[in-house]
Amino acid sequence: MQMLQAIAVGLPLTILVTILALAIGTVLAIPLVAGLRSGNRLVWLLTRGTIDLLRGIPPVVWLFILYYGVSIGALRMSALQAAVIGLGLVAAAYLAEIFRGAIGSVHQGQWEASSALGFRTGTAWGRVIGPQAWRTAIPAYTTYGIGLLKDSSIASTIGVAEIVFMSNQYARQSGEGILVFFIAAGIYILLSMPLGMLSRHLDTKMRKAVAR
Amino acid sequence: MSHTAPTKIRNVVQVRNLAKAYGDNVVLRDVSLSVPEGSVTAMIGPSGAGKSTVLRCMNLLEKPDSGEIEIDGHVINARKKISPKNLAALRRSAGMVFQHFNLFPHMTVLRNISLPQERILGRSRDEANTKTMELLTRMGLGDKADHYPARCSGGQQQRIAIARALALGPRVMLFDEPTSALDPEVGVEVLEVMKELASEGMTMVVVTHEMGFAANVSNELVVMADGCIIESGDPRQIMSDPQHERTRRFLRAVLER
Ligand SMILES: Nc1ncnc2c1ncn2[C@@H]1O[C@H](COP(=O)(O)OP(=O)(O)OP(=O)(O)O)[C@@H](O)[C@H]1O
Ligand SMILES: [Mg+2]
Repeated sequence: MQMLQAIAVGLPLTILVTILALAIGTVLAIPLVAGLRSGNRLVWLLTRGTIDLLRGIPPVVWLFILYYGVSIGALRMSALQAAVIGLGLVAAAYLAEIFRGAIGSVHQGQWEASSALGFRTGTAWGRVIGPQAWRTAIPAYTTYGIGLLKDSSIASTIGVAEIVFMSNQYARQSGEGILVFFIAAGIYILLSMPLGMLSRHLDTKMRKAVAR
Repeated sequence: MSHTAPTKIRNVVQVRNLAKAYGDNVVLRDVSLSVPEGSVTAMIGPSGAGKSTVLRCMNLLEKPDSGEIEIDGHVINARKKISPKNLAALRRSAGMVFQHFNLFPHMTVLRNISLPQERILGRSRDEANTKTMELLTRMGLGDKADHYPARCSGGQQQRIAIARALALGPRVMLFDEPTSALDPEVGVEVLEVMKELASEGMTMVVVTHEMGFAANVSNELVVMADGCIIESGDPRQIMSDPQHERTRRFLRAVLER
């Protein structure tokens, strides 16, 4: 019981890192998608390069770079800030690809109908293309979110006191190795299962709405 | 209905010297066309002739390389800068119906028809819904308002698409093979609606392979091939006595199907 309590202290930070990184990733993914869809060759190339760079380096290395590297300079970052920003940037790159695919899967005729009716670009995005793309993106988006929940444990390497960090600490103090991490694993499963269920529920609900 | 006095009637649509190429592929060469108010123009011709492209240039879904389009007094010249205001006015004057309906699958039938009215005409939701229900009822689809498009048959979906365009009060309706994706029996429902529209005086341009519709409903038949209008005039006359060898071949092929 004492063990569970000690580990659970890390729960708020695990959730915080996950949610903030996902939020940052989602917001930053939008300009990246715009860049990928740009007709301007230079803009496209820069965006493509940024995405490949963000995805090509392991998240843990990004966290080290942000925490130890950047922190030496003028920008001092706390471990939490470095973790949230690092995971958020990597998330942006992956989510941009997810969103781009989802947008591409919306039928060309939807654009044509929007234009022919006289919708402004904003209306077409907001009312026609966006909602349909979002529906397509939901399964991949939640899968990424669940992955991020687990990847938030990387933050422990720079000292963010989340679940894995607390487990580690407790294991060292008490000498009870394996059981501690079983409990940590259980917490992650308990956290991700409802997310998966919610995703599947949303997915079937929306499919029902648009299919016969 | 078949012959209108040439001088008094004004043209709702005028297309002048339209040209368009995709890379090396010249799709339209010097196409000119006038559509008098209240008339129905049917456009036929072999696949790849450029029929869809002419129609799509009319409301600027496709930008022509050169030429001029005038709809209800709004002029757009392909070589000049197109102002958003002018483009919006032109699109508001022309309603378009696609082969594959292109309804919004994530909205109910009611929202499909009401949303454009709210956005384009600034109607309140109540005003828009009233107009929508009136149109749906007229089309015999009053009970479909709360359904999603996927739960409607193809013929119903196309009539919903027609209602969506009509709800914006266009001066001309453009149809691109509205029945080609439908079984013949279902296509008839759509053709009936179009016939009724024509009899109410709606100006229409219809790209179609339905020779019955072209012969019985249209006032003017335009035959296209290889990016040109090769023949145009009275539909029955062209069908019974085509002047152009290409027209003859095309008609023979269509009738043999
Ligand atoms: N977006 C595009 N990019 C490149 N070529 C195109 C494009 N759209 C049409 N074309 C070409 O333009 C030509 C005319 O096409 P269009 O669709 O206008 O013909 P159509 O008369 O409507 O034929 P169909 O009866 O098959 O619908 C074709 O050769 C087609 O391949
Ligand atoms: Mg066509």
